[in-house]
Amino acid sequence: MLSSLSLFLLSAFVALASAASDYHEQLLLRPLPQDTLLASFNFRSNESQTSFEQQNFRYVPRSLGQILQHAHTQELHLRFSVGRWDAENWGQRPWQGSREGGTGVELWAWIEAESEEQAFARWLTLTNALSGLFCASINFIDATKTIRPVMAFSPEGDHRNAPNLHLLHGTLPHEVVCTENLTPFLKLLPCKGKAGISSLLDGHKLFDASFQTMAIDVRPVCNLDDGNCSLEMEQSVDMVLDIARSKRPRDNPIPRPLPVDQIECDSSKGYNAHDTCFPLNKGTEPGWTLEEVFGKPLRGSCPLIEDSDDTNSVCINTPPERTVDIKSDGEFRETKFASDTLRCYKLPVGADFDLVLPEQKMTTGLNRPDPQLFAARSINGHGQERGSTQAIIKNPSTTEPVEFVYLESLPWFMKPYLHTLRAHVDSSSESPIKETYYRPALDRHRGTHLELRMVIPPSSTLTLTYEFEKAILRYTEYPPDANRGFDVAPAVIRVLSPQAADKQGIYIRTTSLLLPLPTPDFSMPYNVIILTSTVMALGFGNIFNLLVRRFVGADEVPTTAGGLKGILQAKVAGIKAKLGRA
Amino acid sequence: MAVDKQKALLFGGAAALRLLLFTVFPGLPSLLAGRVEVSTPVTSFKRLQEGLFLYTHNVSPYDGGLYHQAPLLLPLFSLLPNPSHHPFATNLVFVVVDLLSAYALAQVAQSGTAAVSRLFSSSRRDLRWSSAAIAAGFLYNPFTVLTCLARSTSALTNLFILTAMAKASQGASITFTLALSFAAYLGMHPILLFPPLLILLYDARAAKSKTAPSAWSFTITHTLGLTAVSGGLLVASALLTGSWDFLAATYGVRLLLSDLTPNVGLWWYFFIEMFDSFREFFLGVFWLHAASYMPGLTIRLHKQPLFVACTLTGIFAVFIPYPSIADAALYLSLVPLFRHLFPLMRYTFLASAAVLYASFLGPAFYHLWIYAGSGNANFFYAITLVWSLGLSVIVGDSLFAALRDELDVERPELKGKEVRRI
Amino acid sequence: MALISSILALRRDARILKIPPYLSALCIVIGIAWLLVLPLNEYSRNTYVSENALLPGQVHTYFTGSEHNVFRAYRQEVHAMIDRPVEERSQRLGDIFRSNNLKVATQKYSYHVSNRTIANENVYAILQGPRADATEAIVLIGAWKNMDDEVNNSGVALVLTLARYFKRWSLWSKDIIFLVSGDSTTGPQAWVDAYHDGHDERYVESLKIKSGALQAAVAVDYPAGPWGHRYDKLHVLYDGVNGQLPNLDLFNTAVQIASSQMGIGCAIQRMFDHRDSYKERLQTMLRGMVSQGLGHATGPHSSFIPYHVDAITLSTVGDGWHDEMSLGKTIESLFRSLNNLLEHLHQSFFFYLLIQANRFISIGTYLPSAMLIAVNFSITSIALWVASGRSTEPIPNPASTAPPKDDSAAKKDIAALSTESRQPEMELVEQDDHKALVPKASTAITERHLLFPLLSVLTIHFLGLIPLYMFNTWGAENLSRLYLTFANGTTLLPLVIAWFLSELRPLSTQEVTLIQCFSLLLLGMILAALATLNFSQSFLIGVLATPLSFVRKTNKTWLTAIQLGFLAVLNPVMVAQWSAKLLGADLQEVLVLAAQGWHVWGLWTQVTVWLIWFPAWVLGSVVVAGGVMEGGLVG
Repeated sequence: MLSSLSLFLLSAFVALASAASDYHEQLLLRPLPQDTLLASFNFRSNESQTSFEQQNFRYVPRSLGQILQHAHTQELHLRFSVGRWDAENWGQRPWQGSREGGTGVELWAWIEAESEEQAFARWLTLTNALSGLFCASINFIDATKTIRPVMAFSPEGDHRNAPNLHLLHGTLPHEVVCTENLTPFLKLLPCKGKAGISSLLDGHKLFDASFQTMAIDVRPVCNLDDGNCSLEMEQSVDMVLDIARSKRPRDNPIPRPLPVDQIECDSSKGYNAHDTCFPLNKGTEPGWTLEEVFGKPLRGSCPLIEDSDDTNSVCINTPPERTVDIKSDGEFRETKFASDTLRCYKLPVGADFDLVLPEQKMTTGLNRPDPQLFAARSINGHGQERGSTQAIIKNPSTTEPVEFVYLESLPWFMKPYLHTLRAHVDSSSESPIKETYYRPALDRHRGTHLELRMVIPPSSTLTLTYEFEKAILRYTEYPPDANRGFDVAPAVIRVLSPQAADKQGIYIRTTSLLLPLPTPDFSMPYNVIILTSTVMALGFGNIFNLLVRRFVGADEVPTTAGGLKGILQAKVAGIKAKLGRA
Repeated sequence: MAVDKQKALLFGGAAALRLLLFTVFPGLPSLLAGRVEVSTPVTSFKRLQEGLFLYTHNVSPYDGGLYHQAPLLLPLFSLLPNPSHHPFATNLVFVVVDLLSAYALAQVAQSGTAAVSRLFSSSRRDLRWSSAAIAAGFLYNPFTVLTCLARSTSALTNLFILTAMAKASQGASITFTLALSFAAYLGMHPILLFPPLLILLYDARAAKSKTAPSAWSFTITHTLGLTAVSGGLLVASALLTGSWDFLAATYGVRLLLSDLTPNVGLWWYFFIEMFDSFREFFLGVFWLHAASYMPGLTIRLHKQPLFVACTLTGIFAVFIPYPSIADAALYLSLVPLFRHLFPLMRYTFLASAAVLYASFLGPAFYHLWIYAGSGNANFFYAITLVWSLGLSVIVGDSLFAALRDELDVERPELKGKEVRRI
Repeated sequence: MALISSILALRRDARILKIPPYLSALCIVIGIAWLLVLPLNEYSRNTYVSENALLPGQVHTYFTGSEHNVFRAYRQEVHAMIDRPVEERSQRLGDIFRSNNLKVATQKYSYHVSNRTIANENVYAILQGPRADATEAIVLIGAWKNMDDEVNNSGVALVLTLARYFKRWSLWSKDIIFLVSGDSTTGPQAWVDAYHDGHDERYVESLKIKSGALQAAVAVDYPAGPWGHRYDKLHVLYDGVNGQLPNLDLFNTAVQIASSQMGIGCAIQRMFDHRDSYKERLQTMLRGMVSQGLGHATGPHSSFIPYHVDAITLSTVGDGWHDEMSLGKTIESLFRSLNNLLEHLHQSFFFYLLIQANRFISIGTYLPSAMLIAVNFSITSIALWVASGRSTEPIPNPASTAPPKDDSAAKKDIAALSTESRQPEMELVEQDDHKALVPKASTAITERHLLFPLLSVLTIHFLGLIPLYMFNTWGAENLSRLYLTFANGTTLLPLVIAWFLSELRPLSTQEVTLIQCFSLLLLGMILAALATLNFSQSFLIGVLATPLSFVRKTNKTWLTAIQLGFLAVLNPVMVAQWSAKLLGADLQEVLVLAAQGWHVWGLWTQVTVWLIWFPAWVLGSVVVAGGVMEGGLVG
C-alpha cells in the first residue's frame, strides 16, 4: 500500500515536481514513535555552468562558489551531525542516509588536479577556506585525517573529465556542532532564514534535537540531450525533535515535576491513592504546532521561489485520520498525495503559517520500512595498551542478501593488526568478505584506511572484529583533555545491492568511538630529562673514569690516608687549621 | 663420555622445559608477546605476524607503521605454517635457536679465551666454571626462557652474536664474518662488536698459526668481507621487497625512535617528554653516547677482546633505543665466563638486588599505570631507571675487576693491596 | 668511591653480623608504630575535590513533588515482583523502562562454583543523552538483592523513578545506563565483564546493546519495604575487588553532596557513630585495611573498579528523618556532577586510607610502614646469606640458576685456590678494617651448595598449587571437611618433611641457612611488590609472617618446641580460622565465598596466601623442625 512508501521516496516524489526551477525549498514533517517528530528541510538552488564560470551568482552563494572555483572542486559534500538515529524505532533514515554524516564534521569532495600532490594541495586550500566560512575547525583535516576512498563513495553529479578527478575524504569526529555553524549555513540561503521554511530554523531547538544533521551538496548536473550543464547546490537539515522537550518554553526549560493533578494515574492499580500514582502513558499522539515545536512562527513563503502551482513548501506525512488544522491569515493551498498519507501546503506570501495537530488517539499508523542494515560498533577489552574493535551488522530482510562496503578511517595512533581481522556470519560458514582494500597507517603521516566489500545472507548477523594496539604519543601531541581519550571516526557503510533508486546511494554510519591512550605525566619533562641524564652520566662517568685513569698502589699515592677515616681526618685537620688561624 | 651425556641432559632438559611450557600454557606466548618488557616494536612476534600477513597478501609491510624488522625474516617465517593455527613449528624453531645459542656459548667457554688470551693471562685463570655450567646459566636463565616463549626475534640476534663470538674465539674467519653481519643486519647495533671480536679472531688465528698474520691486511680483508656480506644482505632484502623502503622502516625507526612504545630502556620516556626542537639533537647525543663505549673499551682492554665484547653487550642492554630483557639475558649469561673476576667485584650484591627488585616491581607498576589506571607513567619509568642503573653498575664493576686483574699481572707486588686510580 | 669502598669494608666486620636481627626487629616495630600514628592530625589530611569540572552540589535539584507519588507506585510494583519468577520480574522491569522510552535489554548468567549454581538475570536500560554521541556513559545500579540478601525494594524503585525523571532532561552529555542486577556481586560482575567482552560465553550471556566507555558507576542500596523507611545516615562503600579503590574525587563528591547539600551524614566502614576520636579513626582505618586486604567484593560497585571504572555504593543505615527523595536528590546531584566531567577521573588519589568520611591518609604517608615490614625479611635474608658462608658474593649471581656441576667444579677450583691465598688473609688481620677491602678477593670462602636449597624452596612454592586448586574446585559441602584435614595436616607437615629429610638426606647447617635465606628473600621481595598493588594485604601478611625472620634451627628441644608452637598459631590455615572467629564470620561461608571470588570476581587473595605466604611458613617451620630431629638424635 502507498502509506508504506519509504520516507525517501516521498521526499523524492515531492522534490521531483520542481527539480527544474532555479530555487526550491521544502519541509517534510513526519511524526515518529516515542513522541518524536522528524523534520527534514531541503533547499535546492541551480546555477547554469556558464554563469557560474562568469562568477555571476544568483542563488548559489558567491562566498561558497568562489571557494569551489579557487580549489577546483567539482563536487562537494559537507556534513555537520550530532546525535544518533534510532533505527530500531524510527526505521529508515531520511534520504536513506545519503544526506547525513558521522558525528562531528565529515567532508568529501572530487577535486580536479593533474597529480595526487596537487589534489592534496587544493584539498588543503578547500578545507581552510571552508573552516573560515563555517566557523568550524575543518582546517584540522590534515594528511592524517584524509583518506582516498575506493569503493565507498561515487560521484553524484555528471562529470566530464573523470580521470583528473580525485576523491578525498576527511572527518572530524570530535568537532562539536552548534549554533555558530548554523548561522553561516543559513546565510548561504537566498532567504537567509528571514522567510520561507528556513525561518523555522532556530539554534536552540535544532541543537536540542535527539538527532540532527546539516548537509551541503554541490554537484554539476548535465542535461543529456542538449548537454548544457548547471551547478546544483543542495542544503538540507534533518532533525528529530523530542516533542515534549521542544515544546518547553524557552524562558522555563527546566523539566520540573508536573503537578500531581496533571499526570494521569493508572487507577486500576490496587495501591493507587492520592499520594501514589503509577504514571499511565496514554497511547495518544501528542499535540503540537509548528510554532511550539520550532519556537518561531513560519513567516510565509520565500518570495524568491517563482510562483508556479506545484510549489509545495511544507508537507506532512501522517495517516489520513490524523487531524491537521491550519492557522494562517494568508491564502494557502493544500494538496494530498499518496492516498492522503502526504499532505502538502503551498505557503502564503507575507503571512504567517502554522500547522496545528491536536492530541489524538490513533487507530492506524504508518508502517515504517526497516533500513537495509542495522550496524553497531564498539571497543572491547580494557586497559590503555591494546583492545579490539567489534562491529555487528544485521540484515533484517528475510528474502534477499545485502552487499555493502564497510569503510574504516582510523587515526594513526590506533594500530590495527590486520592478521587478526575476523568476519563471520552466524548463518553460514564461508567468509563474507569479498574484497579488501587496506592502506596501513604511517606514524604521524597518515591514518589507516580499510575498505571491505562484504555480503550478508538474508536474516543473519555479521560480526567483524580486529585487534589493535594503542601508540603512546609525544607529550606535545596530546590535547588539553588528554585523559578523555581520542575520538575514532564512525565507520561508513554503503549498501551496494539492493541498489539505490538514484546516484545518491544508501548509507549507514555507526557511532564514533572513544579511544583512551596511555598518557605520560605532563608535569615533569624537566625531571625526566634530568633523571635519565643522571643515570646515563653515572654509567658513562663510572666506565670512562675506569678507562682513562691508571692504577697505583694505595701507599704510592701522595695524598692522606683514603677511605672514610682519611677523609674525616683531612676535614678535621682543615677545620683545626682554620680555628688556629682565627 | 660423561661430559657429553651431561650436556645432552642439559640441552634436552632445556628443550623439554620450553616445549612443556609451550604446550601446557598455550596462551602464554601471545601474552608474553604483548609484554613491553619482553618484546619491543623491533622484535615483537605479533608485529612479525602482521608483517608476514601483509607480505603474503602482497602489501608492502614497510609501507606502514607496524613492522620494523628485517625483510629476510619474512620469507623465512612464511615457510612455516601459520603460527596462529599451528604454532608448533614456530615454537620449535625458537627452541632450536636457544639451544644453538647455548651451544655457541659453550664453545666460547671451551676456548677459555675469557681468562687466557694471546697477550694476557689472568692470575686467577684456574678459577672458572665448566662450559656446561655456563651453557646451563644461559638455558635456564628465566629471562632467556621468557624471550623464547614470547618468540621475540631478538633471540635470533642473540644467536648470531654468540655464534660470532664462538667463531671468533676459534679463529674461523668466514663463519665469523657471516654470523656478525647477520647479527648486524637483524639488530644494527651488533656492528659495534666488530672491532673487539676482530681482535679476538686475530689472536685466535695467531695462536693457531705460529706466525701472526699482518694486522693491516687482516683487518682490511675482514672489514671488506663484512661490508660485502652485509651489503649482500641489504641488496637481497631490497630485491625481495622491491624497494629500499625497508631501510627507513627498520634502521630508520631504530635511529629516529618514531615508535615510543614503552620498554625497559631509557629512551622512550625521555623522548616522550622531550621538547620537539631538541629531539634531533638528543637523538644524536644518545646514539653518540651508546657508540662511544666501543672505541674506549677496545683500546684500553685490547688484551682481553672477549671481555670487551661481553661488556659491550651489557652496554647495549642498557643504552640502545629498544632494549628488552633478551639483551639483559645475553649479557648476564656472558658474565659467568669471567668467573675469575667475581672475587674482585664489589657492588654485585647491590646491583643484582636492584635488578631483581626491578624485575618484580616492573610488571606491577606497569599494571598500575596501564590497566588499574591508579598509577601514572612515572611508576614504570622509575623502575626502568632502577633496572638500567643496576645493569650499568654490574657492567662498571666487572670492568673494574678486569682492570684490577690486569694490574695484578702487570705488578704482582700490588696483588691484594688496596689501589687508587689517578 | 673511597667512601663506598670504606663502607663496603665495614662489611667484613664480624660485629656487623650480629646487628641484622635487631635491625629487622627495629623495622617491624617502626613499621607498626608508623601505622599507629597515622590517624593523628599531623599525618592525615582533610579530603578535597581536585577535579574542577565536578562542582559538587552546585546545581539545584528538582527531584520532588509528583515524582514522589510515582516513586511510591514503583515501590509497590517492585514489591509485587518479589515472589515472582525471574523472567517475569525482568519482563515487568523492562516494561517500566520501556514505558519511559528507554532502550532495554536483559542478560542471563549462571556460574557453577563449588558444585553450586549461581544463576540470575540482569535488566538494564540505556538513556541516550541528547548531548551525547555514544562515547561515554555513567551507570546507576540498583541490585535486586543487597549484600545482606535483603530485597533492595526501594533502591530498585528509586532507580526506576530516576530513569523516568532523567529522561526528561536535555542536558545529559553522557549516556546513562540503569542496571538492575540479579544480585549484588555476581550480577554486576557478569554485566561489566560482558560490557568489556571479557566474559566466558558458557556462563554469561553477551550484551545485546552497549553504549560508550564507562566513566563512573553509582550503586544504591535501600532495602526499605513498600511502606518506606526513614533512614539516618548514608553508608558509603568504596572497596573494590583485590583492594583496588575508586578515585577519591568520586567519593568526596558523594560525601560533600550528601552532607553539605542534602544534610545527610555519611559513614564508612560500618563506623556508624564516629566521634572523630583517635580510637575511632584507628578502628575505621583498620577495618578499611582488613576489607582491603581480604580483597573481596563489598557491594555492587566492587566489580567495576578493576575495569578502571570508578564506582561507589550508597546504602542507607539507621533510623532517622531522611526519606527516599533526599536520597534521590543526592543521586541526581551526583549525576549532574559526573555529567560535567570532561575527562575520565584521574586528578585525585587512587591510593588512600580513609579514617573518617572526610579525612584521609595518602600513599606517601602510609606506604613506608608496609615497606619496612617487607624490608625486614630482606635484611634477615642478607644476614643469613652472609652467615651461610661469610662471603660478599651476591645471592643472585648470574650462575645461581646453574645446576650442581658448576658448583662442584668451582668448588674444586676454590679448594685449589684457597691454599695459595691464605697469606693475604693473615695480612688482613693486621690492617685496618676499612683497608681490608681487597684481600676478600682471594680469601677461601666455603663454597655454597645453592642447588638443593633453591630447588627445595621452588618446589615448596609450587606445591602451594595443590591447596589452591582443591579449595577452589571442591564442592561447598566438602569444603569444611577439607579445611579440617588441611588444618591438621599442615600443622604436622613441617615435622613430617623434616623427618623425611633427616632420614633421606640430612641437611647441612649451611643448606638450612640457605633455605631460610632464599625463602625470606622471596617473601620480602614479593611483599614489597604487593605493597604497591594492595597495601593492606601486604602489610597484614607481612605482620603475620614476621616470626619467620627470627625462628632459627636450634638443638635446644624446648626452644624448638616454643618456636614450633608459635608458628603453629601463625599457620595461614589457622590464621584463617581464628581471624574468621575474630571477625565473626562463618568459616564455611568464607571458604565458599573465596571459591566464588576465585571463579567469578577474579580474586587474587588465595594466590598470595597459597603460593607466597603458606610456602614461606612451611619452609620456616621445616627449618625449625629440623632441630627436633637433631635434638632427638642428640638426646
